[in-house]
Amino acid sequence: MEPILTIAEAAKLIAAKKLSPVELAKDCIARMEALDDTLHAFILPTQDRALSDARAAETRMMAGALKGPLDGIPIGHKDIYCTAGIRTTGHSKQLQDNVPAKDAFTVAKWAEAGTVMMGKLATHEFAMGGPSFDLPWPPPRNPWNPEHFTGGSSSGTGAAVASGMVLGGSGSDTGGSIRNPAALCGLAGIKPTYGRVSRAGVLPLSQSMDHAGPLAWTVEDCAILLQAMAGYDPADPACADKPVPDYVSDIGKGVKGLRIGVVRHFFEKDNPVSPATRAGIDHALDVFEHLGAEISDVTLSPMADYHACGWLIIAAEAFAVHEPWLKTKFNDYGELLRDRLALGGFVRGSDYVQALRRRRLLCEELKTAMASYDILVSASQPTEAPKITEVGRWATIEKPSLSIPFNLTGYPAMSVCTGFGAGGLPVAIQLIAKPFAEQMLFQTAHAYEMAIGNRKRRPMMELAKAAE
Amino acid sequence: MKPKVSETEFDAMVKQTGLPLSKEQTATLYDAYWMIEDMIARITTPMPIEIEPAHVFIPEVR
Repeated sequence: MEPILTIAEAAKLIAAKKLSPVELAKDCIARMEALDDTLHAFILPTQDRALSDARAAETRMMAGALKGPLDGIPIGHKDIYCTAGIRTTGHSKQLQDNVPAKDAFTVAKWAEAGTVMMGKLATHEFAMGGPSFDLPWPPPRNPWNPEHFTGGSSSGTGAAVASGMVLGGSGSDTGGSIRNPAALCGLAGIKPTYGRVSRAGVLPLSQSMDHAGPLAWTVEDCAILLQAMAGYDPADPACADKPVPDYVSDIGKGVKGLRIGVVRHFFEKDNPVSPATRAGIDHALDVFEHLGAEISDVTLSPMADYHACGWLIIAAEAFAVHEPWLKTKFNDYGELLRDRLALGGFVRGSDYVQALRRRRLLCEELKTAMASYDILVSASQPTEAPKITEVGRWATIEKPSLSIPFNLTGYPAMSVCTGFGAGGLPVAIQLIAKPFAEQMLFQTAHAYEMAIGNRKRRPMMELAKAAE
Repeated sequence: MKPKVSETEFDAMVKQTGLPLSKEQTATLYDAYWMIEDMIARITTPMPIEIEPAHVFIPEVR
């Protein structure tokens, strides 16, 4: 197999007619065939579709009619993204024979950009229940060590991108489900502003907390993917009718003069992080300062307040989404999701409304705090990936979540790999920007990624070592 | 941690949800219910009555 390319690298080679999209797709298929029995990233590989997409891209390449940087790039979709004529299950027995008639808005947009669809990727059941061992498909494994958890719920996307079976993929993030697997699998992943990306055609979990976005190996690749994903769609009532800026052209502007606020109490006191996670954040702050950013601490309400407010909203909205099946096909859910959803049945209407009222106050608080900053910094995950068999039933709610504050407030947030901690497993930082300032996130995260240069180390090497 | 509600009160709450829970499933949820109680207590501290004039969520607060 060839070395794994980033999207930006592959796009340049394809544009120069130095890389065949068909050969690139075949290489990803070979990697999938070699690794997916171990990693379980795919629920449904679509090799025939991939080769057909790749041949079309190659024809355009030869004709000098490429559609852009995603033309001929192998991608995968989290299996809550509806795909016309291709099974979309939510990783659940409830929908194991569901074949949508129509693509999700974002699936269609990536297809129009010329992407090569490699297949449907595993997820926590309906983006909430996992890692589960009692579903029709097993949970994905972390490419850095298959005994460990990928994070979730975009778990298949995390495993597939990290191992190079796809160069990028779609995820969804209701309480951290893009940023968590990005952090634990050593990737870049962005949860855009609420309203930036349409959720039409993406199976819902919690309508006011759900966000759609991409995961990829680098920040620049995320920018390329989001560029082709964002945009107004009247089919999603929350989708913002705002122009999409050019995320890629300004990505190299650097951080000189930017004001960066550190929400230190989130990761030092409210949910203390592992030594390697902490060291990664400290080093990143040194890098930003060295590059000319101004750093200072910022204090928000306790993270538990954001967590309580966000989780109650998710619990109530998810229960409402799933209530008909919970009452009629309760045991067709996996045990984890069944229990997590059922807990939402005890959230009263008045509790939900109080959470919405509290949400307004917390949005105001964050807006006030961010007035003095361009970027906020926190941790993305508290620790390196735990063993997959040691993830608890209530893991998502028993400690305040580092990611949920920015689902609750809708602010764009990104996870970026800072290095490696215990067991050689990745650790990450979380960057947050003002609403619709994704380009500021990309510019900041890219400057960091370029400065530390940690994108050469791939889990493929670890997998190869394990196989020896 | 134990929930503030009794198991009998919790059984009544389960009935209201309409979910077909077994005794074992009910016990599992009862053991976790203190987390919900804790979250509700956190968000129901006094707030100005006019704080949310409309239940419309806009991340870019205007």
